[in-house]
Amino acid sequence: MQTNQPCKTGLDFLFCIEIQQFIITKLLSDQAVAAPPSGIINDSQPTGIKTTSTPSAKKDDNVVKLDIDKLPVRVQRIVVDGLTRTKDDIVIKEIKPLLNAKTFDELVHLSYNAKVKMERLGLFKNVVIAIDVSKDNKEYGYEVLFEVQEFRRVDGGIHTSISNNDGSLDFQLKMPNILGRGERFSLDYTVGTKRTHGYSAYFKKPLNNNPDIFLGSTAYQFHGEYPWSGYKQTDRGVAFDLTFPTILGSHNIQWEGVWRDLRALARDTSFSVREQAGHSLKSSLKHTFTIDTRDDPILPTVGVLWRTSQEYAGLGGNVEFAKQDGMFQWNTSLPLDAIFQMSLAGGLMRTLDPNTSVSISDRFFLGGPLTLRGFNLKGCGPHSYDNALGGESYWLAAAHLYSPLPFRPGKGRFGELFKTHLFLNAGNLGNLDFNNLSTSFQDFAASLRWSFGCGVVLCMGRIARLELNYVVPMRVQKGDKANPGLQFGIGIQFL
Amino acid sequence: MTALLNFMEGSGNPKMPASQPWPEDVILYQQYQVEQITLPDYSQCLAVEAFLRMSGLLFRVEQRTNAADMSPTGKVPFIQVGSQLIAEFEPVAAFVASKGFGLSKDLPEESVAEMRAYISMLDNILSNAEHYVAWLVPEVVAEVTKPRYGCAYPWPLNWLLPWLRQREVRNFLTVKDWASKSLEEVVAEVKTCFRALSEKLGKNKYFLGTSPTELDAVVFGHLYTLQMTKLPGSPFCAVTKEYENLINFTKRIESTFFF
Repeated sequence: MQTNQPCKTGLDFLFCIEIQQFIITKLLSDQAVAAPPSGIINDSQPTGIKTTSTPSAKKDDNVVKLDIDKLPVRVQRIVVDGLTRTKDDIVIKEIKPLLNAKTFDELVHLSYNAKVKMERLGLFKNVVIAIDVSKDNKEYGYEVLFEVQEFRRVDGGIHTSISNNDGSLDFQLKMPNILGRGERFSLDYTVGTKRTHGYSAYFKKPLNNNPDIFLGSTAYQFHGEYPWSGYKQTDRGVAFDLTFPTILGSHNIQWEGVWRDLRALARDTSFSVREQAGHSLKSSLKHTFTIDTRDDPILPTVGVLWRTSQEYAGLGGNVEFAKQDGMFQWNTSLPLDAIFQMSLAGGLMRTLDPNTSVSISDRFFLGGPLTLRGFNLKGCGPHSYDNALGGESYWLAAAHLYSPLPFRPGKGRFGELFKTHLFLNAGNLGNLDFNNLSTSFQDFAASLRWSFGCGVVLCMGRIARLELNYVVPMRVQKGDKANPGLQFGIGIQFL
Repeated sequence: MTALLNFMEGSGNPKMPASQPWPEDVILYQQYQVEQITLPDYSQCLAVEAFLRMSGLLFRVEQRTNAADMSPTGKVPFIQVGSQLIAEFEPVAAFVASKGFGLSKDLPEESVAEMRAYISMLDNILSNAEHYVAWLVPEVVAEVTKPRYGCAYPWPLNWLLPWLRQREVRNFLTVKDWASKSLEEVVAEVKTCFRALSEKLGKNKYFLGTSPTELDAVVFGHLYTLQMTKLPGSPFCAVTKEYENLINFTKRIESTFFF
């Protein structure tokens, strides 16, 4: 790999600038192109290029106008400038296809693809491509210059993140491209509003030069308090995961080993929770499958989200259960800028050790201002002296009708962040008796909770969703903590 | 100690309200006695159990591997009375006294003071010695305490948790100035304590008067544990055998209240 600067003089220089402008405009007009065109070029493309290159041609009369799309090309030299810690082999692998470019158009596409891929791999912060005619004046000889800018070795940041009704401040120290092949290492310290705090170290490595397939590994310690159930827990764990895409969606397979130390939060913690105190070791394998075609994770207007996960705990350790969880969300745009959203979620778990039941820290909980509205956070289902005990199965359904604010204040600006919505929630949480499925299904259907209401939703970037609703809980079961009337919620997960 | 103090005051007060009925379902929680419990915890559990038995109160013992984690103070044993949880000897004794069942309610004040002095001496010496032997004598730690403490957990918690506990006990004993003692010094301390107890007991049936008191329960907890637990090197074997009246005392308590 040569890293010397090619000299740019005279006409070559102008030509070079012209081509760069061309590339930029071309890319802007043609961003959807992901794969290099295979050989033959469409007839429609040259016209597109003429128009894009005309504005810049006005500036300088010396510019040679060419039908560059079909221009035959022989790439003679590729220079990558700015490499310090990135390894040669990974860069060579990405730019080698350029040598096979037959036409100028193909060369541009291949160069762009290489740029995008190297940026997505986390190798460079920025890549500028310059295509120049070759200095030794061979016929159709070209050389390509990649001016790359690597990340700083160590970078830091402080940001806030929001989980359900809890905000936290995250301090991060990251080392992008730490080993020179797109590996990324980060250290995090997070401190939350509810006396939660944690540390984690994360290492990610793309496999096979593919930014969508990667191995991740993490080691962490996290202390959380769960006042709705009256316990606190310190988790110390390690996890390894592999993420890979398929035609349908993205898969993630994770092994996690976590040592959990559960303690009663206060003296008045219910004995049913207290008797679960102590140390446990969970070693579990989890598979998550996700399809997400939505245009926004917080306030989508179209698209579908499908996420299912299976977890098997019991590879060593003393926690044994199998758990299945899933959710589906469907969004569609209606006339008058209205959006209809329908969501379904459900989960089921079962202990694999007949002598124990699933621990409170692995159970499902239901209720809250962003899920089953009209109930307190985790306020549905079995309770013991004010402490939510959770359940081994649940289902939840929600339908929303969103519309813009009445009279459209701030249209096209901040007003777009707000939506009003009408909603209807229904769900249930409980324990299924596997020996008597039909009766317990009937009980499960009979004891459902539901509520409806209306309110305002605020989308806070892609960080969180804020809702202020007036809710009417329609069916409440004994022991539930209903919250009729105004309810405020903030978080990233919602249904 | 405040709990004990309150309980002493309560027991010394003749105007105390008449005894309420003893709650029905009282449960004493402790670790598994055969496989799990460690020496210092065992003596504490035995003392509370002996105390409840001497008071003639109904209760049942429930063994849980996570008994210490469940306890509001983190120590065993604890009793559950309705929704109330009371951990460790002194608060349990205070609670029982508040219900009007104390063992020492008929004792004169000077005997109560004497009892307090003996209990505090035992706490200082015997439980420190038990912690020392269980957690700082290498062969006992390796062969007995650590395997027992970790027996309820899967690998690697079965070595990690005992190791953490050992560190905690070492810090505790360092603060008490016991960690730097040699085993001989510890045995000598125990011997002093035994001699004092033996002299106090003399030929009596119980330490104070003709009926058992809290002191008898506490002494029984420690003596029985030290006499009966077989440890590598048997560090306390010679000392326990030296005082015949103490051996007879534990045998008598065992046969009177435990069978």
